[in-house]
Amino acid sequence: MSKKVIVEYSRYPVAFIALFVQVFVIILLFMMSSFAFSDPGTSGQQLSVFAGMMTYGFVTSMFLGFTLWEIGFSLREEQVRGTLESLYLSPTNKFSNLTSRTFAILLWTTVMCAAAVGLVNGLVGGLPVQNVLFGLFVLLLSISGFLGLGFLFAGVTIKLKETAQLLVNGLQFFFFIFSAQFFPFSVLPEPVRDYVSRWLPVSYAVDLFRTTLLGIPPELMPTNPTGEFLIVLAFAILSPILGYIGYLAFERQARRAGTLGEY
Amino acid sequence: MAAETVAKGFGLGRPGLRASLDVAWTVFVARLRIITRYKGAILLESFLPIFFAAMPILLGIAVAGSEENAANNFFQNTQAAGQGTSEYRLYMLLGSSTFMVVSLMLWLIGYWIRREQETGTLESLYLAPAKRLHVLVGVTSYSLVRSLAAFVVAMFVGSLLFGVNPLSGNLLAAIGYLMLGVPALWGLSFFFGALILRVKEANSVIQLIQWVVPFFMGVYFPVTMFPPLVRITAMAFPPTLMNDAMRSALLNITSLYGPGYIVLGLMFMAAWITPLLGYEFFGMMERRIKRNEGVGQY
Repeated sequence: MSKKVIVEYSRYPVAFIALFVQVFVIILLFMMSSFAFSDPGTSGQQLSVFAGMMTYGFVTSMFLGFTLWEIGFSLREEQVRGTLESLYLSPTNKFSNLTSRTFAILLWTTVMCAAAVGLVNGLVGGLPVQNVLFGLFVLLLSISGFLGLGFLFAGVTIKLKETAQLLVNGLQFFFFIFSAQFFPFSVLPEPVRDYVSRWLPVSYAVDLFRTTLLGIPPELMPTNPTGEFLIVLAFAILSPILGYIGYLAFERQARRAGTLGEY
Repeated sequence: MAAETVAKGFGLGRPGLRASLDVAWTVFVARLRIITRYKGAILLESFLPIFFAAMPILLGIAVAGSEENAANNFFQNTQAAGQGTSEYRLYMLLGSSTFMVVSLMLWLIGYWIRREQETGTLESLYLAPAKRLHVLVGVTSYSLVRSLAAFVVAMFVGSLLFGVNPLSGNLLAAIGYLMLGVPALWGLSFFFGALILRVKEANSVIQLIQWVVPFFMGVYFPVTMFPPLVRITAMAFPPTLMNDAMRSALLNITSLYGPGYIVLGLMFMAAWITPLLGYEFFGMMERRIKRNEGVGQY
């Protein structure tokens, strides 16, 4: 299946180029926005910690966004093309069918994120980078958790059909804001932080990843970083399991109703 | 027989104005009927501009340290770029809502073509005895209605959420500029449709456009903050002109393009030239594809 996705991608080279350019545009858009709000005369170097917070948050948002888009949206495409039902009749493992869809895009996202970090590094004259190995481990755990959300979203796509593409867009923006992917949690109004952000495991993944790389205490649990790590670990283990169970429930419902092939 | 029909059409009969309008109207109603089945989509796209505006607002407060500092810094930086305003919330909300109109116009055309390709109905559409222009007018009109609805809801809800008053400036002039910007958007959607017809992979292109358009439109900051070459490119982009004109009317700030009569002149020019160029480009791309692989391939 992964091979099929890669072959499919190779047929549309423009898609790869578009994704790559997109990353640079997003980074530049937000960097320039932050310059519009900075004290006139502030140098790039003075913005480096803030830029690091934004860039590392951006890395998690890229992985989350592409996981949601790729798993859910590729199922939608199979639905529209009329190949989803045939795929379900083939002797393919359902779990590998879902995970294989993300392999190519995750690989490509890694390359793009490395390039994005390099770009900001150049723009602000050096980003703070600490505890790289542990940071990468946290990122790996986060991706595992995001996969669970991707599975669940794939199930929702089968159910919602056309609305799914807007829902994924909405979800992306929801996490941008409530998981503070482009800014510190401290700027969110307290009720939002306490009643929304703190209830989202994605927030802890974002927070732990970027504060680890910046070498500062986590914002959500400053006095208990171990507790925050345990939340991220639980997210990494439980999310794929629960997400897949959720997906199977949606899928069963669609098969019973005979709407799997409908779009 | 089929090839002859395609080449020569159905006899000497040519559809009149009423029949052509009927084609556009039928396509328009059909698209509207389809989207009414997905009410969630309409709701979500109305709230997207609010999220889109909230991001730079929160980012700005984080950079400046407080809301007051954010307003002061934004005023100083935008004044240096030729448009001093401390109303950064309304600035962002208006920019994001206008961007949503532009984005939806492009997005809906792109997805429409791609969907027809994937479901195998694009070729049948080409064999139907209706002019492509009328079909496109139907689809783009539907996109316009949908995007304007999103604009109105986003401005209304966003104003309440951000505590801003969009009626403090010249509302009539802003609406006028929005309407005058529509033909240019029509033209751009023809360009975009042609692009999707050619490259086929709609998702990535749309995702890219989703970020490139706000970048060049100056959704979050005046485009005069760009280096010269990027600034010229951005200012030549019709949605930038529309966005800037609406902002200057609603926020009572100077337009980046100069006095009102120049803005008006440029908008008329964009409204005249862009649709012509867009449709010509669409036709050119279409002819090339028909000569090569054919429109049925995806």
